[in-house]
Amino acid sequence: MRKFFSLGLVRGLLWQILGTAIGIGILTGIRQLLGLAPWKPEPAMVFGALLGAMFFLYGVGVLNDWIRVAAGKEIQEHIDETGLGWRRYFGASLDHKVIGIQYLTLSLVLMVVGGTFALIFRSELATTGMQFLTLMEYNTLMSLHGIVMIVGILVGIAAFMNYLVPMLIGARDMSFPRLNAFAFWLAVPAGIILLSSLVLGGFDTGWTGYPPLSVRAPIGMQMFFLGISLAGFSTILGSLNIIVTIIRQRAPGMIPFRMPIFVWASIATSIISLTATQLIGLSFQMVMFERLFGMGFFDPGKGGNPILFQHLFWFYSHPAVYVFVLPGLGLISEMLPVFARKPLFGYKWVAISSIAIALIGFLVWGHHMFASGMAEYLRVPFMYSTLLVAVPTGVKFFSWLGTLWRGKITYETPMLFLLAGIVVFLLGGLTGPPNATISTDLHLTDTYFIVGHFHDTMFGGYVFPFFAAIYYWFPKMTGRRLNEKLGKLHFWLMTPAFIVLSLAMMRVGMLGMRRRIGDYDPELNFVIDHKIMTVAAFIIALGVLVFLINVFWSIRKGEVATGNLWNSRSPEWQVPSPMPMHNYEKPFEVVGEPYDYGLPGSVYVKFKESE
Amino acid sequence: MEHQHKSSALLLGLLVFGALAVLTAVEFVFALKINLWQFLVLIPLIKAGLVLYYYMHISRLFEADLDANHESYAYKLLTNRIGLWLFLLSDAFIFGGLLLSRINLLGLMRPDLNQVLGLAVTSILLISSFFANRAEILMEFGERKQFILNISITIGLGILFLVGVVGVEWRLAPFGPADSIQGAIFYVMTGFHAFHVLTGVIFLTIVLRNGSRGLYSAEKHWAVEASVVYWHFVDVVWFFFYPALYLIGTLAK
Repeated sequence: MRKFFSLGLVRGLLWQILGTAIGIGILTGIRQLLGLAPWKPEPAMVFGALLGAMFFLYGVGVLNDWIRVAAGKEIQEHIDETGLGWRRYFGASLDHKVIGIQYLTLSLVLMVVGGTFALIFRSELATTGMQFLTLMEYNTLMSLHGIVMIVGILVGIAAFMNYLVPMLIGARDMSFPRLNAFAFWLAVPAGIILLSSLVLGGFDTGWTGYPPLSVRAPIGMQMFFLGISLAGFSTILGSLNIIVTIIRQRAPGMIPFRMPIFVWASIATSIISLTATQLIGLSFQMVMFERLFGMGFFDPGKGGNPILFQHLFWFYSHPAVYVFVLPGLGLISEMLPVFARKPLFGYKWVAISSIAIALIGFLVWGHHMFASGMAEYLRVPFMYSTLLVAVPTGVKFFSWLGTLWRGKITYETPMLFLLAGIVVFLLGGLTGPPNATISTDLHLTDTYFIVGHFHDTMFGGYVFPFFAAIYYWFPKMTGRRLNEKLGKLHFWLMTPAFIVLSLAMMRVGMLGMRRRIGDYDPELNFVIDHKIMTVAAFIIALGVLVFLINVFWSIRKGEVATGNLWNSRSPEWQVPSPMPMHNYEKPFEVVGEPYDYGLPGSVYVKFKESE
Repeated sequence: MEHQHKSSALLLGLLVFGALAVLTAVEFVFALKINLWQFLVLIPLIKAGLVLYYYMHISRLFEADLDANHESYAYKLLTNRIGLWLFLLSDAFIFGGLLLSRINLLGLMRPDLNQVLGLAVTSILLISSFFANRAEILMEFGERKQFILNISITIGLGILFLVGVVGVEWRLAPFGPADSIQGAIFYVMTGFHAFHVLTGVIFLTIVLRNGSRGLYSAEKHWAVEASVVYWHFVDVVWFFFYPALYLIGTLAK
């Protein structure tokens, strides 16, 4: 029992409850002193939640070293945590590999929760009329599905960036390990606050939280804004750490054009998260202030402008989709040559294309606002800048096809997910330009076509590469590999079902199905499509369930795999799995190109024999 | 030789401060005489450039590593500097977003604020930046007592600025946050900035306490440098916020 309460996570949660209670108490007390009506739920809950998050961070122990530094005491530079065993996964560990796995676990938890929300309201949509949900419940679940999945994806890419980047570049850890732990543990109370909106009245705005609707929504709206602001701060600090680590901790000889593609993708992603995230935080905080203090930023009655919110919001939220997909596309480029046994086609162009997508991504946000009343002269420039994104993305597809062409391809589970990722992302990519082109977009705006399009990009750009990466690096994390048969079952359940689901979404969208609504007209004649979609959604869920069973089974009883399982050239596979505490015992030097598979005599990394 | 080097560094700090003061005065007078917004955008940019180069030492980011050992103090120092500057870059986007919101919502109108008070708090923050610069230079030469004196003045001026904005200006302003869009913008911009000033004051106070206990030396004083660079950054933000709130445009009714 005592051991249980010494776990960082448990202490953090207890402190969070305490902090929330104290916050509510303080605010009520202040209102009493000021002579106002003491109990007003909204400010009390907001202040309580904020204080609760801070207390959580203290309770979990990520602030301890910083408090010691501020108090002028010494702290240990490199801490060896190997004695702690599994317990270090539940506390404030400084090891980037532990933090990576913590992120991964949190991501899976969030995505299972978000997916469950989807299953609930997908069942509701199986036929017309409201079956078992009220409209408000439907709206809340639909909104939370969107935002919880987004946070899950952000956490998931942080998982792979944290776990892989220091290993791929030959660093012993991140540049700022304490900041790394802080960033991870901030995401936990953020997720809790976000989900707490479910019991605080929910919110009915969709994940975008547009005012003026979000100004009038229940208190759950505030929890959404606060949770996302905190999660955003967590990704800002995480991406700062990634950029500095990549700039400063590379192994000797790893010049920029010898970095793995995933490292290029990570830096491109991090540039967006580091900067643009502040603006979604700002826009959400401005709505919070509008609700709390009556500041009329987005209230035309007070001289405000609701369109301003959309500009601030989409300035982050469009590049955010590149944050979601760039690491996934990087993972595809990273793993594809291993299974094709051929050099990555056009390495330099692929490396540059990630940066290009990130930079163009800053200039395209207005295409979300073609139908919103944005100044008309902005439409055409945004249309062209958006279409321009297709060029560097096309470079990536060209490279993948060139890599696969005449390769000696083997079809292990990770490779299957990579190929599915490419196909699904192609579907998502081809359905993008109709939404970027003003004339077609005015017809497609806010229909299920958009829903189908972005589910394709998210699955192709994130979910499939993410599963591929788990199957691929699981042996590195645990020393055991995931079961191949269950992996293939997972794949064959999920992939066809998903493709059917997304194509049906686009079909009903073009036939007139609006997005974000709980009910639809039976006269539109697509009830059968909705039934098929619902069945497909449950088959996807079944696939994910098979995956989770596989993980729990393989972690204990899976086939032992400590060597270079995939016959990769990457440095992390040249040492036995799982990785030791501070990564490489012998430092390595980069002496060749990273992806020269199948070229006789080529060497990528050379380990120093003695130090 | 060292003495000469030190006095020339202090003199440079004074010269930069003089230039900033003159530019601020010109900005103020120009705004009252001929209100050209282009001019009121240009001057803060020049001021920011001066501070970025001479006070915040942005060129230090591009120095080559003298020690390639990743565990050495010199190597970690540059790593820390890059980390801090990336944080400032990120933070700059929040303030940029606030400025854009102000332009979008108010355009060429400005809220009705007390000009004397505005100029006073601006001067206070500018002077505090000068003393912060002195504190850092004196630490570089290991003059602990002088360092403590200068950083204490910086903290005092920072607190004075906070009192001026939050304590006085927020009371004098003829509108509350909920009254008009001018009020909303004014309180959110000064509020975000004041929050940063407050964190800067706390940061400087921690550095003052640890410095007076002799934890920093001429060779190793990253915390001093970080707190001072952060302080200058907060000042640079105010370079843009001051004309945006007090000077640009005509008075809103």
